[in-house]
Amino acid sequence: MSGGGKLKVEHDSNACVGHGRCYVLAPDVFDEDERGHGVVKQASVHAELAKQARLAAENCPEDAITLRSDDDA
Amino acid sequence: MSSHTDNTPESDSESINFFDPAAAAHPQPVFERLRKQCPVGNAVPGGAVCISRYDDVLFALRHPEIFSAVMPAGLIGNVRPLIPLHVDPPEQVKYRKFLDPLFSNKNVLKMEKDVREIASNLVSRFADEDGCEFNSAFAIPYPSTVFLRLMGLPEDDLEYFLGLKNAIIRPEADSPQQEVKIRNETGQEIYAYFDKFLDKLEKSPRDDLLSLFITAEVGGERMSREEVLDICYLFLLGGLDTVTSTLGCMVSYLAQHADRRQSLLDDPALLESAIEEMLRWETPVVQVVRTLTQDHTMGGVELKKGDAVTLVLGSANTDDEQFANAQEVNFERTPNKHIAFGGGPHRCLGSHLSRMELRVALEEFHKRVPEYAIKQGETPVYSHAIREVTYLPLQFGEGQK
Ligand code: HEM
Ligand code: SF4
Repeated sequence: MSGGGKLKVEHDSNACVGHGRCYVLAPDVFDEDERGHGVVKQASVHAELAKQARLAAENCPEDAITLRSDDDA
Repeated sequence: MSSHTDNTPESDSESINFFDPAAAAHPQPVFERLRKQCPVGNAVPGGAVCISRYDDVLFALRHPEIFSAVMPAGLIGNVRPLIPLHVDPPEQVKYRKFLDPLFSNKNVLKMEKDVREIASNLVSRFADEDGCEFNSAFAIPYPSTVFLRLMGLPEDDLEYFLGLKNAIIRPEADSPQQEVKIRNETGQEIYAYFDKFLDKLEKSPRDDLLSLFITAEVGGERMSREEVLDICYLFLLGGLDTVTSTLGCMVSYLAQHADRRQSLLDDPALLESAIEEMLRWETPVVQVVRTLTQDHTMGGVELKKGDAVTLVLGSANTDDEQFANAQEVNFERTPNKHIAFGGGPHRCLGSHLSRMELRVALEEFHKRVPEYAIKQGETPVYSHAIREVTYLPLQFGEGQK
């Protein structure tokens, strides 16, 4: 996950139980489904949204969010 | 960041017994000793095994097939398991699929205006005084009024309702036998109260939560009357005291830390992450219980099928292995993967509602009472297990430190 490149956002719906941290902290990257579980709104984010995406990933208590470098995509 | 110092009494400086009422005001050092000395073990001789490290607690919460939440009925006046708390997946998921949308973040935000009005009405009753006892003036009536409104129950029943809840959670009894008796009798009264109300709704359903409970399909069919009652019972016990306690813990913390309170007044945008951090630090629901469905080794300790274990959320949330500078309160903390609302499939159904209630309450309170402190010469009183600040004397006004 280096610096300013693009990031790929992955969300594991089996691990997600709907704490709702992701869509509150990163409303441009995640949305909530009907049950209040997280869903990815933007699967690939540019530098300006990367900060939001990181905030979501590092605050999900279920570790349901993974970010990968998307530079080679 | 300064360390945590209050004027409330400390418990024995060697003890690992976080059940001790003397530890309730400052449980964090007790948790720390417990984690270091026996992360999986007894906090009191002969008691249930306590699991106190973050990783272990979260593992247990996420693995109901090993750490089951199913409980025998009768411990809290109930004659059947409470739904969905005492039911494990996959059965439990059926109920959550129905309940989750009703308590989703989006839906909860639609109630914000109503909730704000309730908060501001309560605050205006005491805002012009010199001070108040915060628990009875606000922290107790607020979530209960919200709850009655949400469920569509008559607001005139507030006092009656609080009486029922208190008789279950803190029965005023001289002996354990009498406690059981009061709980069982009150339990019957709770079932009867909701039963009668549901009878009425059945004849003329309205646009509220309880009407939905009796008309909606859950897992392809309508819920039985018993299922509806078992949900209502849990709501009454799980949705009122928890918010009261959390709010009390937070206002008590802010009353004792003028600099932190000021930081919220200076930067209102800080409030949401401050609430998360106070949830972590205070963890008002200190523990939850599970039963082993099979033998399982954790932290080198062999747990046996049928063993009851206590998952110490409060300790998990102050574990240095998980949180950087865990013993410091930092309103801007990130990452903050606290589990004050539990985790795994039984994650608190009311977490979104609670977060909104807490935010609105603090906003409305601070709007009218920006400066406050613990009343001079007095000490807040904490209960344990659920850390309610049963006595929270505040004094209002400028220059309060
Ligand atoms: C700040 C306030 C609250 C806190 C700290 C809190 C805490 C918790 C915790 C720790 C659990 C997990 C129990 C376990 O795993 O054994 C839980 C479950 C639950 N809570 Fe809350 N709670 C709060 C408010 C509410 C409210 C307002 C409601 C109202 C509906 C509610 C309804 C529930 C229900 C129904 C469950 C059981 C969920 C399940 O088993 O699937 N809670 N709560
Ligand atoms: S924070 Fe994690 S568990 Fe919560 S909704 Fe988002 S992905 Fe799901």
